[in-house]
Amino acid sequence: MNDRPDADGIDDRHRPGVEEFVTAWATALHRAHYVPITAEQRHRIVSALAERLVTAVLTDPVRPGDGQRIGTDLVAAGFGSPEALGGTIAVIGARLPAALGVAADPTRATRLNGLLADLAAGFASAAHDRSLREQDAVRLAALDARTQAEEALRVSEARFRRFATHDQLTGLPNLTRFTEELGRLCSAAVPVDRVGVCCLDVDDFAAVNDVLGHRVGDLLLREIAHRLAALTDPRIGLVARLDSDRFAILVRGTTCAEDAIKIADRALATLAAPFRVNGTEVPLTASAGVAEGAVADDGATLMRDSEIALHWAKADGKGTLRRFDQDRSAADAARYRLSAAMPAALHRGEFTAAYQPIAALRSGRLAGVEALARWRHPQLGLLTAARFIDLAEHTGLVVALGRHLLEQACRQASRWQRIQPGLYVSVNVSVRQLRRNGLAGEVAQILDRTGLPPHLLQLEVTEQAVIDLTGVVTESLAALMALGVRIVIDDFGIGYANLANLRSLPLHGLKLDASLTRPAAQPVRQPGARRPGTDDDFLRTVVSLGHRLGLVVTAEGIETAQQAHRLAATGCDNGQGWHFGRPVPPDEITASIVAQRDRDPVSRDTALPAFPAQQR
Amino acid sequence: MERPEWAPADVDLSRPSVARAYDYWLGGSHNFEVDREFARQAMAAVPDLRLVARANREFLHRAVRFMLDQGVRQFLDIGSGIPTVGNVHEIAQQVDPDARVVYVDIDPVAVTHSTHILAGQPNAVALLEDLRHPEAILEHPETRRLLDLDRPVGLLLVSVVHAVPDHDDPYGLIKRLWTALAPGSCVAISHVTTDSRPDEMGEGTRLSGRTNTPVTARTRAQVEDLFAGLDLVEPGVVWSPLWRPESPAEVGDHPERMSFYVGVGRRR
Ligand SMILES: C[S@@+](CC[C@H](N)C(=O)[O-])C[C@H]1O[C@@H](n2cnc3c(N)ncnc32)[C@H](O)[C@@H]1O
Repeated sequence: MNDRPDADGIDDRHRPGVEEFVTAWATALHRAHYVPITAEQRHRIVSALAERLVTAVLTDPVRPGDGQRIGTDLVAAGFGSPEALGGTIAVIGARLPAALGVAADPTRATRLNGLLADLAAGFASAAHDRSLREQDAVRLAALDARTQAEEALRVSEARFRRFATHDQLTGLPNLTRFTEELGRLCSAAVPVDRVGVCCLDVDDFAAVNDVLGHRVGDLLLREIAHRLAALTDPRIGLVARLDSDRFAILVRGTTCAEDAIKIADRALATLAAPFRVNGTEVPLTASAGVAEGAVADDGATLMRDSEIALHWAKADGKGTLRRFDQDRSAADAARYRLSAAMPAALHRGEFTAAYQPIAALRSGRLAGVEALARWRHPQLGLLTAARFIDLAEHTGLVVALGRHLLEQACRQASRWQRIQPGLYVSVNVSVRQLRRNGLAGEVAQILDRTGLPPHLLQLEVTEQAVIDLTGVVTESLAALMALGVRIVIDDFGIGYANLANLRSLPLHGLKLDASLTRPAAQPVRQPGARRPGTDDDFLRTVVSLGHRLGLVVTAEGIETAQQAHRLAATGCDNGQGWHFGRPVPPDEITASIVAQRDRDPVSRDTALPAFPAQQR
Repeated sequence: MERPEWAPADVDLSRPSVARAYDYWLGGSHNFEVDREFARQAMAAVPDLRLVARANREFLHRAVRFMLDQGVRQFLDIGSGIPTVGNVHEIAQQVDPDARVVYVDIDPVAVTHSTHILAGQPNAVALLEDLRHPEAILEHPETRRLLDLDRPVGLLLVSVVHAVPDHDDPYGLIKRLWTALAPGSCVAISHVTTDSRPDEMGEGTRLSGRTNTPVTARTRAQVEDLFAGLDLVEPGVVWSPLWRPESPAEVGDHPERMSFYVGVGRRR
């Protein structure tokens, strides 16, 4: 405030009037406009302004600009509203001339008028300026707010984008980013002809998490990510973590699959070095699947192919890499389709049994038949068990399928009793069936329903099925034995037969695998090695082992009369194979039984006529 | 994909802002035509709205001076709006140059303007935060830097609580705020009501639906409930001009026309 010290014109005569004027002015201003100051502060400000006004009226010579400055300072003090100006003019006009005693002095009155006009002009111009300043300020604020909001948006979008495209744990790009980049490379816009995708997965990582805990698991994943990211090769486009313990490497500009395989190899090698977490060494292996192709192939296909190949690597024993291969994939797909079609096929009765003769080797007569599953596939024709049993085993459908075949076979065998009493039927039982509770109960019911005497049902189990005798398997076998059903080991001699089990199991017989009955290839002679026995020595030993254990021995895979003779000579009890007949529909077995009976009503023959083989 | 939580608010200048309309009612020019258009519409409904705004602003200042008299030297002013003459830090720093003020508003323009005004002010900041997220305000690094929550704080909720609808639980929000403050802290609240002028203020309230912060008017009992758990300072919850006026002359003939319930509570 630039109020001047004691001005010329004011004398004490005017003091009370001026004082009243100040009070009135302050009140008018306060009523017109709010300024956050106390009444006392307001009075001080107004009285200083009043003093300058009074001085300007009373002092000569006139100093230009006094009125304007008072107007300006009024606004500066905060009283800038139109109402404040109105109130000011009203109070000055009404009170000041009388207070100063200049009402009758035309010179002073004119001067006051002039001052008032100046004050109003100064006020208006200051208020206008203030208004413009405030407008500028708010515009600037709005502009800044916008910029800041946009910047914040940009930062948050960048964060969001990073969040959306990167894995939080390892900091590697994630599946989204990987797919995006792959898509970009596969779009024609980029001058890269071929790309490769290596999909990597840590073997048995779940076990690491389970045993060492998730914290250690996370540390390992970081380290894995770190090692993969550290691989340097100009062809590596991107290393990503797809999910849990699955990573992927995008390989650019490959010329052939080998280029991508090399990188996958290096990735597996870098992961092969043991990991150290908290001072403990954690050895890990990983598997990889590689797909490589021209960019015209779409990225999603390459991605999927690499995952299929990874799946193969896992299935083929882990710790290795596989390259995607269209043929294997097509075969997989066909198997999958077949597997998926099985339940409905079973329901529609597409599964039937074919029967293969089993002959007594000494007489050559039909002793029994083996029931073999067949699938009358509407498109693919008649499929042998080799095409689908593994699939059924895998999906578990083998249980229902097995039950279905068992029932068919028992019913059929029961019918044959009328024309050849004592003919037995041999049916395969899968591991899955054996491991389930209640197999014996099911068998009992089937025998009941079909009327087949239990001892004419022979169940074939593999060595594999009994290698590990868990409670359920042993119980099932014991219960079946108790029923009077016969149990034989199938494919004997190719698995890891547990000889101790042979002794403890309630077995009826052994079926020697065809590979044992065929003549062996000439063995390579090792100097000093013991002279190997002849094939016959070998067979005789196996057969007598069976006999020593009280088992009936059946040889499979007999294709010629000569083989039949050889085996008969070893003392083997029964034979099965093309020489005696291929698997055929049941009516052909019926026909052969009838033919055999007609030809040889009381057969106690010592010769070995081939059982009339029915070729289909 | 869904936008994450940290996505910033947009600056929509096509909608009237209460902060800027309020500035207009107080005679300021920190406003745009959309704001003035809304402000004039509201004045058509409530002809003496300027006085209502002024009475509210005067309460803010009396409350701040009261708190300063109580020894409070740090303030948290939520819903601080566009800085006009007589901002809290100016008043407080007249008494103690070392007084601290944290301004909070959800209006981005109000906050940037405040930030401009506060440039070179080490003891005051303006934060873009929301009354509905008390912890974000209390735990903001700037709040922590400026305010010592072990010493009393003056919490100013002047003409802002009515911007919080019931479903955001203003009662709970206020409590969460002051429970974080030291004993001896004071809470000033002023709040719009339609109790005295149901028609005019009702229309004004309805119009606020056009702005970025619509208003929920509350009754005296409800406003008293906002102070639940605090010791209400004399004279309790009253019409804005009646709260510790500088002189009886200041009150005017019809304080109820000022349509704001105000009060100050103290944390035990
Ligand atoms: C009428 S002004 C009050 C200004 C100052 N407190 C006064 O009374 O003089 C109301 C302010 O509250 C702000 N506001 C509304 N809702 C809010 C919320 N949820 N959080 C923070 N500020 C809010 C508005 O943006 C506006 O600036």
